[in-house]
Amino acid sequence: MNPIRKKRIYSILFVLLFSVSGISLILYSLNSNLDYFFTPTELKKQNIPSDKRIKLGGMVLKGSVEREASEISFVVTDYENSLRVIYDGIVPDLFKEESGVVVLGFYRDDMIYAEEVLAKHDENYMPPNLDIKNDS
Amino acid sequence: MKIVFKFIVLILPLSLIFTFYFLLTNNESYPGADYDVFDIPKFELGSLNNDKTLNESSLDKDFILNVWASWCITCRVEHPYLMSLSKKGIPVVGLNYKDEKEDGLEWIERYGNPYKTILYDYKGTLAMDLGVTGAPETFLIIDGKIVVRYQGEVNELIWNDVFLPVIESKDIF
Amino acid sequence: MIVEVSHFLSLLATGLFFLVGSFALLTKPSAYISNLITRTYSHGFLFLIASFSIYVWLAITDNFSVQYIASHSNSQLPTFYKISSIWSAHEGSMFLWIVFLSLWGFIFNITIKNEQILKSNTIGIISLILVGFLLFLLITSNPFQTILPIAPLNGADINPVLQDPALAIHPPTLYLGYVGFVIPFACALSFLINGDPGIKWESLIQKWSVAAWIFLTIGITLGSWWAYYELGWGGYWFWDPVENVALMPWLAATAFIHSLSVSIKSSNLRIWTILLSISVFSLSLFGAFIVRSGIIDSVHSFANDPERGLYLLAFIGIIIVSSMSLFVAKLSIIKPSKTIKRFSKESFISINNIFFGALIFSVMLGVTYPLIYEFLFDQKISVGAPFYNAIFIPMVILACIFMFFSIDSKWSRSLNFHFFIAPISLSVISSIITTLLISYIFDTSNLAILISLFAGFIVVYRYVIEIMNSFFMKKYLNPFSAIAHFALGLLIISISFNSLLSSERALNIKINEFEEYKDLKIFFKDIKVLKNSNHDSIEATFVLENQKGRTFDLSPEKRRYFTRGQITTETAIFIMPLKDIYMTIGDQLDDGSWIVNIQINYLIRWIWFSAGLMAFAGMVLMFSKRNI
Repeated sequence: MNPIRKKRIYSILFVLLFSVSGISLILYSLNSNLDYFFTPTELKKQNIPSDKRIKLGGMVLKGSVEREASEISFVVTDYENSLRVIYDGIVPDLFKEESGVVVLGFYRDDMIYAEEVLAKHDENYMPPNLDIKNDS
Repeated sequence: MKIVFKFIVLILPLSLIFTFYFLLTNNESYPGADYDVFDIPKFELGSLNNDKTLNESSLDKDFILNVWASWCITCRVEHPYLMSLSKKGIPVVGLNYKDEKEDGLEWIERYGNPYKTILYDYKGTLAMDLGVTGAPETFLIIDGKIVVRYQGEVNELIWNDVFLPVIESKDIF
Repeated sequence: MIVEVSHFLSLLATGLFFLVGSFALLTKPSAYISNLITRTYSHGFLFLIASFSIYVWLAITDNFSVQYIASHSNSQLPTFYKISSIWSAHEGSMFLWIVFLSLWGFIFNITIKNEQILKSNTIGIISLILVGFLLFLLITSNPFQTILPIAPLNGADINPVLQDPALAIHPPTLYLGYVGFVIPFACALSFLINGDPGIKWESLIQKWSVAAWIFLTIGITLGSWWAYYELGWGGYWFWDPVENVALMPWLAATAFIHSLSVSIKSSNLRIWTILLSISVFSLSLFGAFIVRSGIIDSVHSFANDPERGLYLLAFIGIIIVSSMSLFVAKLSIIKPSKTIKRFSKESFISINNIFFGALIFSVMLGVTYPLIYEFLFDQKISVGAPFYNAIFIPMVILACIFMFFSIDSKWSRSLNFHFFIAPISLSVISSIITTLLISYIFDTSNLAILISLFAGFIVVYRYVIEIMNSFFMKKYLNPFSAIAHFALGLLIISISFNSLLSSERALNIKINEFEEYKDLKIFFKDIKVLKNSNHDSIEATFVLENQKGRTFDLSPEKRRYFTRGQITTETAIFIMPLKDIYMTIGDQLDDGSWIVNIQINYLIRWIWFSAGLMAFAGMVLMFSKRNI
């Protein structure tokens, strides 16, 4: 093999190795940083590790909102299953009972410890198709 | 090497474009349409154009419910189509939403009344129970159950594609 | 009636642009033809401007027989907001977008005097793009639609959140940036069409590209500032999909400007430069597609309509595929003039291009992956800040370290490190000391933040030394590059401090009571209900006192607008040089106390200042006599 060709092969190998490892690093961090979106029913079926951040969507159950100091707790339901959410902070303007909500947080001891609460039609986030399902 | 480069440069944008094409065409073609079935919420509201008090049992079994307001420009655009629906004999019930009574009445007088009945929902309570996010929204109610919901302007195209298939399958109106 | 005139003028402009496009690309170039092209384009532009001016006048005079104006303006609005209501929704903003596009083409048309063939083709390509967008506007989203015979009296009330000076100028600035990159794009394509490697198209367009980059930078910064104080989001960047699609063209544009400077100097990196010029404009178009097709829900998204999305996608697809095919077909004419020396300025800039490419790729992945994932697996996911942090923090740190060494590098010569050992070691040592001091003072061992701080400081210190050198030793300093990179260092330091020190807390507090947070004493002085013409508001007044005994009032508000029942939060912000105290008010509890959210945001204004400084650096280049 002549030296020019040898050099060329090395440089191709280097570029290939470099880009493959770069892309796999990016994909790896993408995969480990995804927020999955669940309804309470879906969440109960799955086994979610407690350090995995998830998004929970549903309706705020009527009469379930309790406040203690700056902490707020409420029940998110999809009219089949329900989950209690605990959050320390101000809920958005559009948060109200019997209205859609999306909670970003961690699932521990059958409760959600929220980092962020977004109300439906909040300008931050709009979950598609989260309407009242109380037929069937 | 050069061929690989050329290939990547062409394939990358092409695959993105095709992906988006599939995403766009795969979406339900009408994002405002929703076919979840649920009961009409209980309510007790006045009427816009007379003194009657209405509740869920004072309405027909099958009808179209249209949420509108005098401040809503799209409702104005939609209005002629509702007139033509009511001329065809389709029962349309209006839900006047977060509006001043005089404004609503003036609108009806000025442009015509396509509605059999007009519920007057000043505080938006029924609208909230229905999950209304803005006007106009239109619901198809069959047997006291909401079967179709459409957010946005209803026109001939939407009527034929979103509402008519359901109406024909249930053989009403 | 007048609206028909406006409509007709747009149609006329479309026709003229079509003529220009077909002339430029189908006829043999000659002096006569290029003269014809220049004149016809200018006329098309004048018709379009006339059409838009009439439209603005219709908006100012409350002509509510035009459906779009009736839906987005109101007779009670001040004139300023009547005008800005034009770009508050899809149709009008698309109109403005097109007018800006033709404006860039027009300025290019009248300022470029030499390179006639290149110029004709460029104008031709711009015209064809204009025709595509004008047809999109007129067919799928016509702003000239009327609602005759009976027009509404007062129009609609526009979203109160949108009645804000920053928002009124944020979209136009951003659009000017996006569409400005049509000039490098069209120029690169006509260079490829001509196929003459001797043409120096790069130096023709440098200032144009920098001008567009300035607008893009300012536009993004304004958007970030607006979200902070008006939406009450309380931060500067949220990795919202629409922010991301604005970031991608900015990243590509920044890489492009770097690469361009190499191509001007030595005709190296030409492949990169052309590829990047195509990418910047394609990414701008991609942004328009994302925002306007409704494929992603976001605060910025316009009402969705699949027909619009498909038209845009098809049009963008044609632009991208044809330009990429042209690029691939003519690849052989762009030969690099010589190989790049190791540790030369060129080599550093090509590494820089790779960094930017990787960043763009990651953002693109973050934007599209959730869509694809949902399509394939029917499971909704979202990609949030953790992913972007995991990518951006290490990459930016690495890029900073490369940049630090590149400061001393020379064009087409290897860097001789031992010449620069003194400034390099001086700035490294002082950065280490500063970082250690910060770690000690603020008692932190957060490695990501400390390394970011270090990376920011080496750049800042190095430039301080360079600036002193240029002052006292009269050493040449490229002012554009120095200011821009110094600003980047400052930006990284500000962001690191912001994430290190900022904190927030929700307090519940009763009227006439004290509460403490950090070094602040908060006294709840008053709360009252105010009645205004179109909204009621609850206004609370707090008196805050810091440790130094300085007191100030903060009055957060909550408003409820009558007609649509919309509730908005008005934040109260107290601005100090190094930090903002940011307050919003929440609900009242059963025991009568109120929930208030208090944030202490460190150096947040420095973040916007740094971004503004970058834009200023661009202006320095714009007004300097020489190409850099």
